[in-house]
Amino acid sequence: MGVSVESGGKSGKKSVNADLNLVPYIDLLTCMVAFLLITAVWSQLARLEAHQKGQGQAGEETPPEKVVKLVVVVNGEGFNLVAGDDQQPIPKRGDQYDFEKLGDELKKFKDAHPDKSDVQVASEDTIKFETLVKTMDIALTSRFPDISLIDAGGAGI
Amino acid sequence: MPIHAPHSHMYDSVKLETAKAKLTHAGRKSLYAPLNLVAYIDMMTMLVIFLLMSFSATGEILFVQKNIVLPDAQNWTDLERAPVIGVSKDVVTLDGTQVASADELMKDSSTGDFKIAELHDKLVTLKNNYKLLHPGEDFNGIAIIQSDKNVEFKMLKKIMYSVAVAGYQNVNFAVTPKAKGGGPAAM
Repeated sequence: MGVSVESGGKSGKKSVNADLNLVPYIDLLTCMVAFLLITAVWSQLARLEAHQKGQGQAGEETPPEKVVKLVVVVNGEGFNLVAGDDQQPIPKRGDQYDFEKLGDELKKFKDAHPDKSDVQVASEDTIKFETLVKTMDIALTSRFPDISLIDAGGAGI
Repeated sequence: MPIHAPHSHMYDSVKLETAKAKLTHAGRKSLYAPLNLVAYIDMMTMLVIFLLMSFSATGEILFVQKNIVLPDAQNWTDLERAPVIGVSKDVVTLDGTQVASADELMKDSSTGDFKIAELHDKLVTLKNNYKLLHPGEDFNGIAIIQSDKNVEFKMLKKIMYSVAVAGYQNVNFAVTPKAKGGGPAAM
């Protein structure tokens, strides 16, 4: 960037005022604004990962007798947390699903089984997509990154 | 009395020529009019910073559709290039082309087969195209379902079944990212 310093004056002293040449800077800014406006993404969307694992496929590395299958059944009455042979119903609170309690129970299970990373979300036909996404989101928050979404009829519960 | 040509008589008493020129503005006016560019540069800088903050290197993969309201999620990841299956309350699309209607999907299948033939065939074609175009790469099997939040699982399971049968094992759901505190996430 060029700097032009006025030389000379009435009394021959050099002026202390310096003018910056701002033209290249403005050119650069204009080009950047044009480029960024063209490539701007205005819709901020993301994705939630799920896997299409069938029953019994999750956790294939461990022998089947040691695997405790964790299934969150979502039905009209609320959740049913199935861990192996144990079932724990989590009924709705009024009209709303009790996501807070589900999260607490999943965290307790995770603390008891730190190596367990997979969970199946089994849904009935009438459950809305928003509820399923929230359930999967809660499972991810409870440190179960390997989620599969299955039909409750196929879960064998 | 001598006759003089008419001229200005102001400041005639000032004898010093330089001072007189200053007082009478007799000096030449500068042709350069300085523009104050500070405000303009400030605005441009702010604009560049804002646009850089919202810049996404991956580009626009999903387009917001008018009849699809996405659910929120806190544990999200960035989008990847993959076939996008749009599911609204009325229609199912694959990359913008209709492949089934909601009425068909909400009906109970008499044969018990959940497969949506058109969706399945198009996904298989896309998979084969990918394999042809990327011979050295493994097929990642990702498909993105962009579904309205009020769609029932009965519709979704048929779509997911068709997607799985077509060889896409990783189904991703498009969501609106939400920060842990509850507000919209900064991507």
